[in-house]
Amino acid sequence: MVDSILMIEAFSDALVNGLIAALMVVVNLLPDSVSDAFQYAFMQRALLTSVLVGAICGMLSCYVVLKRWSLLGDAISHAVLPGVAIAYLLGWPFFVGAFITGALTSVGIGAIERNTRIKADAAMGLMFTASFALGVVIISKLASSTHLMHILFGNVLGVKHSALMLTFVASIIAILTVWLAYRPLLLYAFDPQQAQALGFNTQIIHYGLILLLTLTIVASLETVGIILVVAMLITPGATAHLLTDRFTIMLLISVSIGILSAVIGLWLSVVFNVASGGSIVLVAFAFFILALLFSPKQGIVPRQWRHWKMG
Amino acid sequence: MTTSLPSTMAAIEVTGLYVAYQRQTVLEDIHLTFPAGKWTAIVGPNGAGKSTLFHVLTGSMKPLQGSVKAFDEPIAKHRRAGRIAYMAQREAIEWDFPVSVWDTVMGGRYGHMRSDALWRRLLPARWHHARHSEAVHEALVAVNMLDLADRPIGALSGGQKKRVLLARALAQQASILLLDEPLAGVDPPSEKLILSVLRREREAGKTVIMVTHDMPGARRYVDHVVLINRFVRGTGTPEEMLSEAKLAELAVSSIEQTVNDRQIMPVASNSSGQG
Repeated sequence: MVDSILMIEAFSDALVNGLIAALMVVVNLLPDSVSDAFQYAFMQRALLTSVLVGAICGMLSCYVVLKRWSLLGDAISHAVLPGVAIAYLLGWPFFVGAFITGALTSVGIGAIERNTRIKADAAMGLMFTASFALGVVIISKLASSTHLMHILFGNVLGVKHSALMLTFVASIIAILTVWLAYRPLLLYAFDPQQAQALGFNTQIIHYGLILLLTLTIVASLETVGIILVVAMLITPGATAHLLTDRFTIMLLISVSIGILSAVIGLWLSVVFNVASGGSIVLVAFAFFILALLFSPKQGIVPRQWRHWKMG
Repeated sequence: MTTSLPSTMAAIEVTGLYVAYQRQTVLEDIHLTFPAGKWTAIVGPNGAGKSTLFHVLTGSMKPLQGSVKAFDEPIAKHRRAGRIAYMAQREAIEWDFPVSVWDTVMGGRYGHMRSDALWRRLLPARWHHARHSEAVHEALVAVNMLDLADRPIGALSGGQKKRVLLARALAQQASILLLDEPLAGVDPPSEKLILSVLRREREAGKTVIMVTHDMPGARRYVDHVVLINRFVRGTGTPEEMLSEAKLAELAVSSIEQTVNDRQIMPVASNSSGQG
């Protein structure tokens, strides 16, 4: 048992090092002024973490946007805070605590919605702010305010090897799940009643998707933090939605935008010495604005142009 | 398999069904038999519980009480086997969703793909078993939409959207077709096409069950009619059930019901009045 865990660790270590090496090959092709920043080990860890987080957030954001789950993503990301704090207190892995409070909050939202006259949006707002407040209180008792700031807004330059490994494993799980359950997830997002009629267990798909969201949020904790991860769970998918009418292409565009935003944002944050989480999100938003203006079908400029040409 | 069954057999049998949204009962004490290999129309005023009945049959709503069987077995088993196809109302679908006509119709095959080998299921759609793409192809030909197969669903007209939803149900090659207002808001050529497709399905031995407001169409084509307004208000042949007198009775029942609801729950009169 212990042997096999050690073996998996050694194997993932090798994989991570290999991935970093592969990334550095690409980075070294760039001009020196860009690649110089990535010669330090901490920058390489930050780069790989950003790529992974950008990829899985981009992937999940397609489902979040199409399923109109933006507010739910917001709710879960806030709700993981007390879980992270308690896990820190008890020495558990972050993910376990985060998942427990994330799941409890989504169950609480459902219970309020079903049993009272309070509507879904108010129920979500109520539960996630309460959960978040609990997290802030616990953390203020435990750790310094810098620590809180890092959880809230990320600190990708300070990513430790263990955190990178967590992100790596979470990414593998997320990608495998989406691959294996591609059709049920797609059908559930598009037409849940059809999924029911075909005998798919939509409860499992629903909670599986929530679990996947929680996993992604926890994996993004160190990079963009739990406040800004919401942006990464909406912006790439929303941008891709403006650019294509094919789901697989939407996934590819969204993942690419996630990765590009993370990498460019990271580089800009080093060059201008600003907060990395914020700059990653701003780059993603810049992609969205570009798509909003210039998307061939949906963009404002091409539309106006057609309008003007028609007279 | 259904083609060889005797026509007297029940495709779907509903016993003692009660369904409610929150505290409002929408279906009460429903006992119904849908004969196999026949075309049944479900008729009733708006809010009579017709779509709710379909929600129960497709498994997206749990009844308070009662049982639903298909071919004498629990209906869930037949859902998993892909034998029950469902065509939703147009409003139930997100037409902005980034899928093409072909992909949407392929959605009817997702249930059957579960029985494919694992390695196939992990591949993109075009490397799947040929029987799936053949079924999609056939269904698109049947509804005359093959040349629009690559079009995004958001770019279709109202009648074309209905035909895509019908094609998805056909592609499933199910024994029972449940259709929620397949003729609502379609242009006359689409209506004609949809009715002739359904007639062909019935001739091939399928059980067709549709909710409809189209009385002339129902009088002309269906074998069996069920009148519903919270309770079952009558079952029988189209001649009996769709007579002017019977339909007037059904309309009166819905007015009486609204009045009753108002007396019982004066506070809720706004919402029940619309039902």
